[in-house]
Amino acid sequence: MAIVDEPTRRDIEAFVYLEARLADESRYDEWEALVTDDMHYWVPFGPGDYEPGTRVSYINDNRARLGTRIRQLATGVHHAQDPPSSMRRVVSNIEILSAEGDEFEVGSNFVLYEHAVQATGHLRLWAGRATHRLRRTANGLRMANKKVELVNSTSPLPNLPFII
Amino acid sequence: MALTVQSSPASNDYRHLVQDDRIHGSLYTDPAVFADEMERIFTDGWVFVGHESEVPEVGDWVSRRLGTEPVLMVRNRDGAISVVANRCAHRGTTLCPQNDGNNRNFRCAYHGWTYDLDGTLLGVPGPKGFHKDTADLGLDRPGQVDDYRGFVFANRSGTAGPLSDHLGAGGTDLIDRTSNMSPTGRVRLSAGWIGQRIDSNWKMWPESDHDGYHLNFTHASMARAVPDTYYDEIVMTGEEASESATRAYDGGHLELDFRRSYTAELAWLGTTREKVADYCDALEGSYGPEKAKTIMWDGPPHALVFPNLFLAEMNIARIEPVAPGVTVHRHTPLLVEGTDESVNRRLVLQSEAAMGPASFFLTDDAVIAERMHRAFEGAAAGEDGWVDLSRGLEREHIEDGQRWSDITDETTNRGFWHHYRDVMAGAAGGRHNGT
Repeated sequence: MAIVDEPTRRDIEAFVYLEARLADESRYDEWEALVTDDMHYWVPFGPGDYEPGTRVSYINDNRARLGTRIRQLATGVHHAQDPPSSMRRVVSNIEILSAEGDEFEVGSNFVLYEHAVQATGHLRLWAGRATHRLRRTANGLRMANKKVELVNSTSPLPNLPFII
Repeated sequence: MALTVQSSPASNDYRHLVQDDRIHGSLYTDPAVFADEMERIFTDGWVFVGHESEVPEVGDWVSRRLGTEPVLMVRNRDGAISVVANRCAHRGTTLCPQNDGNNRNFRCAYHGWTYDLDGTLLGVPGPKGFHKDTADLGLDRPGQVDDYRGFVFANRSGTAGPLSDHLGAGGTDLIDRTSNMSPTGRVRLSAGWIGQRIDSNWKMWPESDHDGYHLNFTHASMARAVPDTYYDEIVMTGEEASESATRAYDGGHLELDFRRSYTAELAWLGTTREKVADYCDALEGSYGPEKAKTIMWDGPPHALVFPNLFLAEMNIARIEPVAPGVTVHRHTPLLVEGTDESVNRRLVLQSEAAMGPASFFLTDDAVIAERMHRAFEGAAAGEDGWVDLSRGLEREHIEDGQRWSDITDETTNRGFWHHYRDVMAGAAGGRHNGT
């Protein structure tokens, strides 16, 4: 039996695709408008099966730190994204893992191609699993949590200054 | 060593390539220079390996590199720490491909040769066909391994002299100040290491990490995004306006010394005493009020222990050369003992903001280094492509036996390069005579 009805499932998938596209296109104001006031954005080292903050993570942003991250990207002098990377990600295998009240946990896989134009010009490949916690609000679906588990997170990574 | 490029003895004149006020860009990009460095700095000299707190239990090990040489740092049965090659003495297979683990012994996956934790060969399958003495076929080991306050160093050649000579008064003081941040005097590196891969030469990292001149430009985005960071008062005030200083110690050790410019205790932690009361009480209990006050005001050093240990305030970082144009910069938060865990949670959060490939600072440094590396890729000695390092040469001064200058001066860069020149050209007492 499906966890949610078809219209809800379509809304959730549309949200995940929109979130990915805004990130691809470095449209951070619009991306930030998708998050709740209690947003947590986490890129763990290894599997995300530990309490964030008990071990070091790549990214462990509460709402305030995520705001700082986006303000830094908007300064125009953040060399690590000046100019912004050209990016396209393919999101697939979307599954609604749970639904409780107004909240949905959504799993998906992604492959992201990044053209790191700032210095090397390398085409960088990022792959992993995203887990979103989405909440239905008066303004539609919003994101309260995004966890990104990279398949190669236990090896050294190149710059990750954009939203993944 | 697994080096593909052999340098000829006369190929590089390091006394010409490193001058008092400038260095040549080919030092970053020439494969022959890299090969010389792996030998003269990373084989003949002392190299930081890890901290004993990373391997608390018998059989714990972590994977490391001495230059490009893969090694394991292991806790032995007798409680001592050994450093052994991560390479079977039989046919050379990597024994432990993971980052860390715990083993009763090390068994090679290829033919089953089995080694004790200290690298002694315990046995080989099919012993009747094998007549050599197993005592001669243990894992390769560095000639010297020693530690200071739990910071473990190795010297592969065994010819570098005592670790205490390598550290000198400067390196010893830097590690003391780092270790004394913990109320027990023993720091704990148990929060995991994050690695950042950068497509630049490794030497740009001792330089960038200890450059007080770049912050207003390279890190302008951070200053604008968070206008009230403590960096404002300690480095961003401008030339001759900050009490902070650059310092170069004997032995190539470097420091950006912020102590004189902090205007409040715990400024380096971005907090006040009430928020970390248990930690402050523990410091006073251990060190007494006078010394604890100094620790709380001065904070941890921002310093390099030559060539690869970056004491990054409340982080420890390792600079790992991979190839002339590839470096891995790894960090772990410096955790403390003898207090509640709340201060350690704060330190992990602070580490995540400052260091690593998704942090607010090192991402910009990485792009600058990658741009710099690209600009020298075609550089050949004797042609264009010099790097000017003269800033502050006329105003730096000797104080307490160290070279000091304004926080914006290239005293640290010169300190690194002039020691590098001595090592690479043979004046530091190694077995080489340079050109």
